[in-house]
Amino acid sequence: MQTALKVKSEEYGGELIQLVSFNLEKEEYGINVLMVREIIRMLNITRVPNTPHYVEGVINLRGKVIPIISLRRKFDLMEAEYDKRTRIMVMEVVGELMGFIVDEVSEVIRISEKEIQPPPPVVSSGVEQECMAGVINQADRLLVLLDLEKMFSADERRIFSSVA
Amino acid sequence: MSIDCEDQELLEGFLAETTELLEKLDDDLISLEKSPEDSELMNRIFRSIHTVKGASSFLGFDLLVKVTHKTEDVLNRLRKGELTLTSQIMDVILEAVDLVKTLVSDIKSGEIVERELEATIAKLIPFLSENAVEATVLAPLFAPQKEQGAGPEASAPAPQPGGTLQPAAAAPEPAAAVSQSGAAAPEPNPAPTQSAPPPQLKAVQAKEPAKPAASKGDELADNSTVRVDVKRLDDLMNQVGELVLERNRMIQLHSDYQTGLDPAGFGDDFGKLSKRLNFVTSELQMQVLKMRMLPVEKVFKKFPRIVRNLARDLGKEVDLQIIGEETELDRSVVDEIGDPLIHLIRNALDHGLETPDERLAAGKSRCGTVVLSAAHEGNQIVISIKDNGRGIDPERVSRKALEKGLITEEQLALMGSREILDLLFLPGFSTKEQATDLSGRGVGMDVVRTNIRKLNGIIEIKNEVGKGSEFILKLPLTLAIIQSLLVEVEREVYSIPLASVIETMRVNKDEFHMIGGQEVLKLRDSVLPLLRLQRTFNCQESTADRSTCYVVIVGVAEKRLGLVVTRLLGQQEVAIKSLGKFLANLPGIGGSTIMGDGRVALIVDPMGLVGGGESAIVRKSA
Repeated sequence: MQTALKVKSEEYGGELIQLVSFNLEKEEYGINVLMVREIIRMLNITRVPNTPHYVEGVINLRGKVIPIISLRRKFDLMEAEYDKRTRIMVMEVVGELMGFIVDEVSEVIRISEKEIQPPPPVVSSGVEQECMAGVINQADRLLVLLDLEKMFSADERRIFSSVA
Repeated sequence: MSIDCEDQELLEGFLAETTELLEKLDDDLISLEKSPEDSELMNRIFRSIHTVKGASSFLGFDLLVKVTHKTEDVLNRLRKGELTLTSQIMDVILEAVDLVKTLVSDIKSGEIVERELEATIAKLIPFLSENAVEATVLAPLFAPQKEQGAGPEASAPAPQPGGTLQPAAAAPEPAAAVSQSGAAAPEPNPAPTQSAPPPQLKAVQAKEPAKPAASKGDELADNSTVRVDVKRLDDLMNQVGELVLERNRMIQLHSDYQTGLDPAGFGDDFGKLSKRLNFVTSELQMQVLKMRMLPVEKVFKKFPRIVRNLARDLGKEVDLQIIGEETELDRSVVDEIGDPLIHLIRNALDHGLETPDERLAAGKSRCGTVVLSAAHEGNQIVISIKDNGRGIDPERVSRKALEKGLITEEQLALMGSREILDLLFLPGFSTKEQATDLSGRGVGMDVVRTNIRKLNGIIEIKNEVGKGSEFILKLPLTLAIIQSLLVEVEREVYSIPLASVIETMRVNKDEFHMIGGQEVLKLRDSVLPLLRLQRTFNCQESTADRSTCYVVIVGVAEKRLGLVVTRLLGQQEVAIKSLGKFLANLPGIGGSTIMGDGRVALIVDPMGLVGGGESAIVRKSA
């Protein structure tokens, strides 16, 4: 996604992009809206044994079984109870549908690409640096732009399938 | 050279028809060899070749026309009785048919390659000359070479196969090298005719392209399109119509309910509706399933030819009996069972059956029998390969396994006769001292096991030393919708494919024993290794520790394993859903399914569990 963004900015200059913003442990994150298929409420999740700890299980999304990943666990944040604001963001990551559990989905925002700054060299939270595509620093808020494709780098995908 | 065919549809039609004809042809030719007098069969073969020729000349495939034309000529002479069928003629005809298959698959792949036709055609030509009649007169003298041939002939006085009667001893030798099976079958073709020797020498070089031709011919039967009986399609349409009606009924019912019309009758109506819906969908399911079904004949029909060639190579006499080839099973299953069956048949011929002399010495008839049968048994298809040969000697098997270092003495000491037979499936196991091109590398049975496992099938071996052995494969009918046993493991629901479930039982936990760190259960006369699913799947243990639990005994290929579960919930038909590529290859999980309440239940993959064993899986997940 990062490369895609770069290409865009080179071609069009500071084009507006839309991000879905969501909260995790009181921090705000953003994801390109084109990645997001749908946002659903929590469902019954079936646990799948012998998977990495951040794989919560699978759900039935209208007849299709898709894996669900807890972003809190993925980013080594504290576990939290699911409440009525908890959402599953269903996204297409490297050609496969996947659900990501987030604390709350807030809004869709438009930003200019010029506002995206490279991620700071040291990341204080557990968010792995490589899946940060950038930081958006607006007057009253700080948004971390995520690149989930990177989160499932080839290496990780392999581990994912052959059990960590 | 690209294919210049205006009408793509015409071409497709031609390919579909030709492929079908050619498939049937192989089979017919082998049957013809067994009963050369069958004029009906002869005519059918002739018609098939003729149709192929006609269609290809219409579409302008000259190469095809050339080969089919000559083949047709030879067949025509056979039909008129000017030639008598010998296995030599049959070899040449089969080779020609193989060539035709190659050409057709070339057309199918869209590019016509210049192929060496002359060698094959040259082999056909001698049978067209008048001298060919003389040649066939010599044929009976070489009867022992044609194992598959008519039985009575075989008992004719057998001269040295050196062929001293041949006027030109030089010619038959290269010819023999070419002959398909590679067996030393001196061709009694008219060597003296001037035309014959040179093309035959050329044919030696032509052997290379001939080989890929044969393998390509197999691929010809591709599975990208399905032919469906119009009747079945009509039935399907009917069912769908009914389904639409039921849907309308449901919508009506719902809107009535919402407007508050007769709330009392709602329950009743809804009950009726779900009953009908249940009926319609199961009918529909059956219909669609049937469309995916293929008769097992598709696989079986290549065996007569394989057996014929093998028998000749091995110098054995074999009568292959095929039973139940009309049995239907799912396409995906049909695709997978071909290889294992070839290996099993090879084994039966190579290891199982004795040579004619040995058979006579053992007081059996000269000719060995291999019975290949298929039948439905409940929700499974049962395929068995049975021979009346020498059977499997457990002594020899265990000795070999020790020699090859596949097992240790201690392991052997613990084994029952069943377990010893299971050693056959170990990769690298072979009783042969030396690997031949037929067998001995210890790969075949491993292929069998792997493929059968992939299909969630079970292998059973019945063995009687001196009398023969039987390999029984039990396979599920289809892979998309399966019957499954729902079980509960510490409040989580798992589904176990019923095809691999052998039995279930309720046991007291006191009855478990520990042997070498492995929990086992004494079941009648055998010792069953146990696997606690709750540990394998790391389920949270519920507080109430009951003393009784259930054991589901599953079979995978030749292995048996007891899965310990908390409760049995019942049997249900489930549709298999993939877990996606991220969660593929989880040990012990084969997929998932959606239950009536919309939740996902995981499908246990007994194969994965048997393969790893409890300790391995626990270690992995730790």
